[in-house]
Amino acid sequence: MFNHTLKQAIVLIGLPLSLMANAHDMLPAKAQNQAILFTNATVHTVTDGVLADSDVLVADGKIVAVGQSLSSPSSQETPQSQADEAKPNDSSLNDHSALIANAEVVDARNKHLYPGLIALDTTMGLVEVEMMRPSNDAYEVGYINPQLEATAAFNPDSEIIPTVRVNGITHAQVVPQGDGLSGQSALLSMDSWTVEDALVESNKQFHLYWPHIRWLSTDADKRKEQQQDLKLRIDKVYQAFIDGQRYRLAAKAGKVTKVDLRWQALAPLYDGNAQLFIHAQSQKQIEEAIALSKHFGFKLVIVGGYDAWRVAGALTEINAKVIYNQTLTLPKRNDEPIDLAFKIPALLKQAQVPFALAFSSDWNSRNLPFAAGQTVAYGLTKEEALKSITLDAAKMLDINDMGAIAPGFKANIILATGDILDPMQAGIESIYIDGRKIDLNNRHQQLYQKYLKR
Amino acid sequence: MRKHIIKTPIALLSLLCSQALLANEQLSDNTPRLTALTHANLMLAPGELLTDATLLIENRKIKAIIKDNDIPKDAFEIDLSGHTIYSGFIDPFTEYAIDYEREAEDKSGPVYEIKRIGGNASNGAIHSQMQWFNYVYPDKEQAKKWIDNGFTSVQSSYLDGIFRGQGVTLSLADKKANDVIYNAQTSQFMAFNKGSSVQDYPQSLMGSMALIRQTFADAKWYNQNKNKSSGKAVEFNIALERLADAKKQNFIFETKNLNNQLRAAQLLNEYELSGSLIGNGREYARLIELKSSPFSLVLPLNYPAAPEITDGDSEREVSLASLRHWERAPSNLAMVEAAEIPFALTQYGIESDKFWPRLKLALTRGLSEDAALAALTTDAAEIAGIEHLAGKLEPGFMADLVITDGNIFDEGKIVSIWLQGEERQLINRDLELLDNTYQLQLNELSFDLNLTQSPSLTGTLSSGEDTIELANLEYQQGRLTFSADLSDAGFNGISRFTLWLDNQGLTGRLLDSNNQMHPFGGITLEPIKPVDKQEKTTQAALISRLTSPNVAYGLSERPAQDKVHLKNATIWTSDSSGILENSDLIISRGKIKKIGTALKTPSGYTIIDATGKHVTAGIIDEHSHIALNGGTNEGSDAITSEVRIGDVINPDDIAIYRGLAGGVTTAQILHGSANPIGGQAQIIQLKWGDNAQQLKFEGAPASIKFALGENVKQSNWGDDFTHRFPQSRIGVKSLFSEAFNEALAYRKAQADYNKMRSSERRRTVAPQYNYRLEAVAEVLEQTRNIHIHSYVQSEILMFLRLAEAYNFKVSTFTHILEGYKVADEMAKHGAHASTFSDWWAYKFEVYDAIPQNTCLMQDKGVLTSINSDDYEMQRRLNQEAAKSMMYCGMSAEDAWKMITINPAIQLGIQEQVGSLVEGKQADVVLWDNTPLSVYAKVDSTWIAGRRYFSREQDKALQTKVTQERAALIQKVLLSDDAHKQGETPMELTEPEWHCDTHFNAWQQSAKGAL
Repeated sequence: MFNHTLKQAIVLIGLPLSLMANAHDMLPAKAQNQAILFTNATVHTVTDGVLADSDVLVADGKIVAVGQSLSSPSSQETPQSQADEAKPNDSSLNDHSALIANAEVVDARNKHLYPGLIALDTTMGLVEVEMMRPSNDAYEVGYINPQLEATAAFNPDSEIIPTVRVNGITHAQVVPQGDGLSGQSALLSMDSWTVEDALVESNKQFHLYWPHIRWLSTDADKRKEQQQDLKLRIDKVYQAFIDGQRYRLAAKAGKVTKVDLRWQALAPLYDGNAQLFIHAQSQKQIEEAIALSKHFGFKLVIVGGYDAWRVAGALTEINAKVIYNQTLTLPKRNDEPIDLAFKIPALLKQAQVPFALAFSSDWNSRNLPFAAGQTVAYGLTKEEALKSITLDAAKMLDINDMGAIAPGFKANIILATGDILDPMQAGIESIYIDGRKIDLNNRHQQLYQKYLKR
Repeated sequence: MRKHIIKTPIALLSLLCSQALLANEQLSDNTPRLTALTHANLMLAPGELLTDATLLIENRKIKAIIKDNDIPKDAFEIDLSGHTIYSGFIDPFTEYAIDYEREAEDKSGPVYEIKRIGGNASNGAIHSQMQWFNYVYPDKEQAKKWIDNGFTSVQSSYLDGIFRGQGVTLSLADKKANDVIYNAQTSQFMAFNKGSSVQDYPQSLMGSMALIRQTFADAKWYNQNKNKSSGKAVEFNIALERLADAKKQNFIFETKNLNNQLRAAQLLNEYELSGSLIGNGREYARLIELKSSPFSLVLPLNYPAAPEITDGDSEREVSLASLRHWERAPSNLAMVEAAEIPFALTQYGIESDKFWPRLKLALTRGLSEDAALAALTTDAAEIAGIEHLAGKLEPGFMADLVITDGNIFDEGKIVSIWLQGEERQLINRDLELLDNTYQLQLNELSFDLNLTQSPSLTGTLSSGEDTIELANLEYQQGRLTFSADLSDAGFNGISRFTLWLDNQGLTGRLLDSNNQMHPFGGITLEPIKPVDKQEKTTQAALISRLTSPNVAYGLSERPAQDKVHLKNATIWTSDSSGILENSDLIISRGKIKKIGTALKTPSGYTIIDATGKHVTAGIIDEHSHIALNGGTNEGSDAITSEVRIGDVINPDDIAIYRGLAGGVTTAQILHGSANPIGGQAQIIQLKWGDNAQQLKFEGAPASIKFALGENVKQSNWGDDFTHRFPQSRIGVKSLFSEAFNEALAYRKAQADYNKMRSSERRRTVAPQYNYRLEAVAEVLEQTRNIHIHSYVQSEILMFLRLAEAYNFKVSTFTHILEGYKVADEMAKHGAHASTFSDWWAYKFEVYDAIPQNTCLMQDKGVLTSINSDDYEMQRRLNQEAAKSMMYCGMSAEDAWKMITINPAIQLGIQEQVGSLVEGKQADVVLWDNTPLSVYAKVDSTWIAGRRYFSREQDKALQTKVTQERAALIQKVLLSDDAHKQGETPMELTEPEWHCDTHFNAWQQSAKGAL
């Protein structure tokens, strides 16, 4: 093990030098115009386990084929055991020889291929320097703001983005923060000229920060006041959705005389074309979120989900999902097992609640793969850990062609020399988003290179 | 011959009207006042009961104890047969009868200096000049809440500030101030809470402690130097003058929690002062520590209300610690008694009507009656400074008495209180006659007369099975009248009765329906003795465990020193021998005895098969803020080098246990970065279960936190904070220069003074000892290491050059995210670096931070470590170190050194810990995987050969915690309302501390847990 690591270190040192040539530009990569064939890789397909010595063919931003020795005509086929959902648009298992013949071949012997990682619940591109108010656009005041769109403020030139994607994060869900209904998030590519380039089409994603008491007072009277106030805030949430429903009814009947931005925005939620992401940690909050979703028939995704494993039955009953973002945190209650936060993904798995992992931050979201890695010593398998930040993360957004290396999936691919979930082994060499090989340079690399020369 | 018995209402009348009578009738009251309380049980002192004896009182005092009831002829007798006399109770901690209100100054924004007025102290929380007897104005209404419980005197002070002034002990008698003061100058009252002071300093617990130190030093200096003729003029300062001869004074120190109580003890001990500590009800959790200090306790009876458990969700928020305390609080007194710590009781902090029920509950939990009585009398008298005149029944002592109709600690009720020889009846003595059962004879028939006083006077006459209700009952002065239908007994119609009662029996007459009078007599029946309640004082079975610390995962006992042979492991030595495969390590007597291959197991050693596992030195965190109370910053003044983190170590913090589980054995607990010169740091070992003193790393060099950049120039503090110098990096440099110059001048003044001839010294004012400058001087003298919070290259370079100008070496730049830009300069200076693995972009000064920082600095020869500055990250420092492998190709061995030997060197403890070398302290971690891997988990952690954490034990503790919680929750749910009531528990709600946590300890705890 140890010798292996040393070897890797040497490889890593080599990496930055190769980047020196194009140190300053960091241009978004051009659309894929030539097929790529990765050969002899260890492929972490996510949908079909880990395939040794396999090839992956990518064209037009999509994965075309996965299998052993794709270049030799006899064995151009994908494994038969794939799940159905894993091969949308998989129209052709036919001959790819034309593609292969013109493909750029990337020798991936002794290397690993992973699907690009999806960072859920981030403020990427909304925040540059958190403490500097002018550079912070993540939070809006007001309680009922479903009309707010994160995309309105996303900065694709944020210096943070290139530092995050080098760790394998190809896409991030960018979420507006608030105290109640905070607005709509979007899944964005981490390599683009503008937010419009970056946007991955999906159903609408509304966010609701479920009311809670931040610091329960030790004073009995104050505590009562807080609890009273909490009830009022919950009532307010219900009232908003009732008002939204009235508006929807009127709109359908063509009776709306004056636009209400809030309720107009909410329309897809009532029509079943959107998901409601409720940010909630405690059992009570989650149960309240479930009750609300049941009442209005919303599709529910819990974000946070610290206690979600305790209410697994109620969650699965309404097909709700959980984005767990507390892996690298302390136990929320002093008496809880010291490693509970690490174990919760395994508990969710055990309770059969569909879940994904997140590391909710801006700059710090680059530690997402290691948060996933952390769960392995506490009950998840490495494959499950990887799935929780790739395929399962995509599913949280109702997206079915991301997060796996399988035909038909978007060609978001990481090429690495080691285990990308473990910082002592990870060695990411290149990253492809929609088949485009992106620049791995970043602010850190630039400063590093500069001061190496001092 | 029956003796004359006093008729109470007359006595009462005279008491109430004496003032008025004086005015109207006669100029002087010359009534002789010699009173004999006869045939009473005299509780002379705790444990000394004299039965059937007389207490002779003259005027305000006890004149004699007369064993045979042979009383002087001129004594006025009150027969107290069946009664017990106790010495009046004393409450040594009250704010009674202090007629004073401190003006609250209205200030907005930070206040750095207060108004100097009348020779006061320079800090707004110091009121040592106040002598509270000056403000005594008795208050009848207030006094009642003590008198009703049997208290006759109290010690009193105005409870505001850190030094609160000198208390006064006074009688609760309703007399003018001049007559009630027993001791005009008792103890100096103290607390950590600065109270109403508007001054910013101190805003942390450690700041208060530092201020107390400086004040004691100032007082000593002041009183030694105020009259000297030459040298610097000494300002008049009455606050310091009144603290002269502190060792001859007594101190009463109020704190609100156990940790602070121990801190107060520590501090008073440091100055060899004597006094008492106000308690908090949790003493049982740290009895050994309390016992080892020489202070008596004044304990409140503040039992917590049962935790709110309404549903599964709220239940989860209740900690085991609070469940335990709910159950155990009533046992506190018994446990303090068993530990043989002297204590008094106070009504402070609870409603007075709760006092006796709570005390009785304590008795059922094993508190002895003698100890309870001592706490109310003799021990309290001593603490209140009146042991020469109160607390016992003894000739010459004040006639402050409690008279009961039985054992006060059992069913006995207080019937009257004597305050300075004057009686106040709580229950009219003649009404006691109604408690008797009488038998009267009427026409050959005998009737039992049963009377009930509450809610109103009712009664029955009964004979055999028949019971007759009485109507129209009236009673006054022994004369009882009523009417009853006694037709069945041969008296037709309604009969009317008139009875005269006394203790022996009764005489009476009956007026029948024909207006015929029938005289009769009767006797008093012996009361039926209540059956002794069984095992009344046996300790109620407690479910909760008592651990150290007394929270979930606390340990029942200190781990033993292991003799262990770790076999066949991969050993990461963090030393020149590198990483050893298939090797053994033997731990003995707290040290690493041997490292090698295929070692023989000495007899008596436990073998742990570590095949496939890894053994490392314990992780060391150069920068942490865990395990402390009351604020990590004294963020008021720009220089606060006098404050000490070591004063506020919190051994109860679960973070210690969590850190251990991540393989951390040592951490430097640093002051925050709110000011350029912060406080003194404390290196601790994460010995979970040990107390605050034991956690401290023995023999570690002194260190201090300095800081640069945004935090010290208050960049992110809001609009109120724009006035303190410095507000820019330019100013920061100047502030340091000034501080260094001051420290040099201070040292020079000390040296000059010491060089003087002794005769000259006697004449010359000595330099004032200054804790703040002492610490800065130590830095310049290189006896105190600097750990300086810093980010950008300009400030790093600035400070390096400044240090060089003042001829000292900077030990470690901490955070140092732009260290890579000036690594050459740092290396040349010999400074170390302790940084984050990958933090950046959270504020402007970290925008140039890069995760390759470690490699760049290391490669240029700067000894580099990784720190956490975070509760959670601390337990994954191994992964943080591994990130340098990923970001800049550092070798695994070097990465591992960044969290073991490198920080050890930075803390100056590398001789003891930080690497696995024979003879070093056995701080050892056993891992199940390569320790730098995200997949690695700690199996066991030893500190000095004691295994403070093991995965296996943790699993067992998890089960125990779950079971104990469940049992206690059931107990809460099953208990009646009486056992649920109590004060809302004052739990300390402190945040997780970070470098830049702004926390005003005294605002947070206005009602206060501190």
